[in-house]
Amino acid sequence: MAFVTIENLERTFDLNDGGQYIALKGIDLTIEEGEFISLIGHSGCGKSTLLNMVAGLDLPTDGIVMLQGEQILRPGPDRMVVFQNYSLLPWMTVRENIRLAVKNVMGHLSKAEQEEIIEHHINLVGLSHAADKPPDQLSGGMKQRVAIARALAIRPKLLLLDEPFGALDALTRGNLQEQLMKICEENKVTAIMVTHDVDEAILLSDRIVMLTNGPESKIGQLMKVDIPRPRKRMEVINHPNYYSYRSEIIYFLNQQKQIKKIRSRKQTVVAKHGLEKVNLDIGFLPLTASAPIIIAKEKGFFTHHGLDEVNLVRESAWRGIQDGIAGGYLDAALMPSGMPVWMTVGGMDGKPIPVATALTLTRNGNAIALDKRFADQGIRTLSDLKKFLRETPDKKHIFGVAHPASSHNLLLRYWLASGGIDPDHDVEVMSLPPAQMVANLQSGTIDGYSIGEPWATRAVVEGIGYEIATDIEVWDGHPGKVLGVREDWALTYPNTHVALVKALLEACKYCADPANHNEVREILSQAEYLSMDHEYIYLSDAQQATCGITKDNRQLSHHVFFDNTANRPSRTENLWLLAQMARWGDVAFPRNWVEVLERVCKVSVFSIAARELGMSEMTTYSRGAIELFDGIKFTADDPISYLNSLNIKHDIYMADVMLDVPKPRAA
Amino acid sequence: MAVAQKRPATTSKFTIDDKLKARIIDDYITPFVTLLILLSIWQVFSLFNQNLPGPIRVVQDTWKLILYPFYDKGGTDKGLFWQIFASLQRVLIGYSLAAVVGISVGVLIGLNRRVYKGLDPIFQILRTVPPLAWVPIALAALQQNQPAALFVIFITAVWPILINTAVGVKQIPQDYTNVAQVLQLPRSEFFFKILFPSALPYIFTGLRIAIGLAWLAIIAAEIVMSGIVGIGFFIWNAYQNGQVSEIILALVYIGLVGWGLDKLMDWLQHKILPGQVKD
Repeated sequence: MAFVTIENLERTFDLNDGGQYIALKGIDLTIEEGEFISLIGHSGCGKSTLLNMVAGLDLPTDGIVMLQGEQILRPGPDRMVVFQNYSLLPWMTVRENIRLAVKNVMGHLSKAEQEEIIEHHINLVGLSHAADKPPDQLSGGMKQRVAIARALAIRPKLLLLDEPFGALDALTRGNLQEQLMKICEENKVTAIMVTHDVDEAILLSDRIVMLTNGPESKIGQLMKVDIPRPRKRMEVINHPNYYSYRSEIIYFLNQQKQIKKIRSRKQTVVAKHGLEKVNLDIGFLPLTASAPIIIAKEKGFFTHHGLDEVNLVRESAWRGIQDGIAGGYLDAALMPSGMPVWMTVGGMDGKPIPVATALTLTRNGNAIALDKRFADQGIRTLSDLKKFLRETPDKKHIFGVAHPASSHNLLLRYWLASGGIDPDHDVEVMSLPPAQMVANLQSGTIDGYSIGEPWATRAVVEGIGYEIATDIEVWDGHPGKVLGVREDWALTYPNTHVALVKALLEACKYCADPANHNEVREILSQAEYLSMDHEYIYLSDAQQATCGITKDNRQLSHHVFFDNTANRPSRTENLWLLAQMARWGDVAFPRNWVEVLERVCKVSVFSIAARELGMSEMTTYSRGAIELFDGIKFTADDPISYLNSLNIKHDIYMADVMLDVPKPRAA
Repeated sequence: MAVAQKRPATTSKFTIDDKLKARIIDDYITPFVTLLILLSIWQVFSLFNQNLPGPIRVVQDTWKLILYPFYDKGGTDKGLFWQIFASLQRVLIGYSLAAVVGISVGVLIGLNRRVYKGLDPIFQILRTVPPLAWVPIALAALQQNQPAALFVIFITAVWPILINTAVGVKQIPQDYTNVAQVLQLPRSEFFFKILFPSALPYIFTGLRIAIGLAWLAIIAAEIVMSGIVGIGFFIWNAYQNGQVSEIILALVYIGLVGWGLDKLMDWLQHKILPGQVKD
């Protein structure tokens, strides 16, 4: 039986105006004996309320909290709380405060034993010099140490900590965290801690419970911290998973903050110049591929086409883009080429969200990089890599990719598979935010990655890794990043959609002109965009940066932002992407794939935009078969036979994807 | 070096002297001079009004009373010390009674929301009844002067103690009750270790207001109750006999005693609650 069980917990508060505020709803959590759990979330998310209900100081409106199978109905010393504001009695000295607790809870011990426990715990928190002072004469940090000593002294079954270290200075906090950890480990204390501090949560916890913002806060995410104990504050940060844990939590908290911002901001639609909406939030990532979106804003292409109030939102990971589009608080976004079709067929938690694309923003611009250790082993080609992997079967080699639906992931897997390496068995592929690839490669958490520029160039320039293959060598001219919008958004604001495509198409053209490259690089390097030196940023002319570790003169940057065939969305390409995702079992292959492609690829919007810009020659071109480096051709005729013909693949599932009837948003 | 050290030393000594001087001027000389001025105005004023003696007349008329506060000729003809002593005795008894009842009932209604809700409006009305208004009902009910006087003191002093205690108990910070709840302190432990110390500053505020009111009430009560020893009746008696100077002297004593009582409570409060009194 679980040590602590929280089932379907709900807490509602009555408001003065007669209404009700639902603080927590549907909380389910079980805690094992000896586990250390952190509750993290923004202020007002109900963390402390949840803690109080475990303490028994507050009772749930609905649901149940149990400790060792017994329902918690009242507070008790077996669930001692370290309160946020110390809660020491000011008319008693430090020793008397602790004595009050020990005397009442450990009355079965002799007086001498009690006094020994009291002294031991005063010393434990380093307050022997202040034992006879009243709390008013202590600093905030010292007061909290007394409170912790008081709580630990009575040896509770379950220790509840409400932001215990919030008011302490960094040094004391660190020492106390380690002390607390040691005591918890030695005495197998089960603990629940409310905290704001991400690092503190990772250091101390076995699991971290992330709560969404209120009202109706619930558990947004539950993260297991798999770092072996005993932990040391200074060593934990070197653990390979530390930064992915950290970024996971920070991502969650940022997401909650954004949702809160969106909720509080009355989203009014500003219609102007014959466009249904001219105030747009457009998401991007710090990537060279964001150039068209950034340039459209900086060089006035948006305004030129009537989009007066465009706000660029920088996300750190594709998940931010995905959630922003799904949640409707981004109007449009830079997306990896596979994301529209991936979201449409239900890649996000199996829930189909029709997303449309009418413009391919860049082609190419990705590369597969390996740690320089591999270069030292003489690994230059795919077959070298395969040989090396066969020789080291006991070591798991990890590759980082930005998103399951990104062309990096699909091309990496394709490349590995064509060399006889199963990407799911022979190596491990893991999702990481682009900006963290280099750091993870350097720390050895991952052995290689497939990523868009400038992150591959950066590893080469900094001498951390080298490029074993660029996407030119896998599929020259593959779609890299596209413009994605929700289908219902496109139907609600059709003229805005066309204007957006027109502005970005002109920006693409601007980025492709070598005469503008230095200017574009300068703009991209600014703090609000890529925030890095422009020596890492290349558009398609990176000959000067090709001297990597291997000195084999690979062309590092090779973005195609614009040409007669580059920008038109292609059904065949989307089908290829969809087939690859199905190949690796990420999504089921839709039996109604023709409908799916029809919904995703908005060729008509692109054609209108191109024609209105006087670029009608772009609208007529149609791609034939796709041919990759291994010579296998892919056509849109029979994807199912194609999938069946592949050797290395996951089990392939087929399903009908039920898409809602396309309709504009209700006003 | 030596020179450099000497100079600030002398300067700081200067400032201490200056501060002391400033304090003496502020706290003693200024009030004293003000008193002299006021007395002179009074003296001048009394020249035009024969019914009101000036300060010099008052001292001349009451010289004997000032010199012999301890004489006792039996009955109500006693020195001023005995008069004040008798009044203070009544205050002490009535006030102690009020403190005991006020604190206990205050704790009770502070702890019980329903009792509080039920009694609070009644208390709020009763506490505004002036002390003098209680005198007839006290006399009518108790028939005798002494218990009636005690009752008037009690009924006047009890409200501020009671109401402040109740507020103090109600306002025990959630933090403290949380600690008590989590530790599951027994009731007695909770009362003496948490409730009482936490409410004590409020209780003292009530006690200090009450002592002033009790002193105020006894004078009023004694004036109405003929034939008892006490400073209130002394004033009434002097009025009946047309001895205005004696009235004025008694007023001065009453004022001084009232002031002394307040200072006493202040001292006690600081003694018992060091650091918790916010002046």
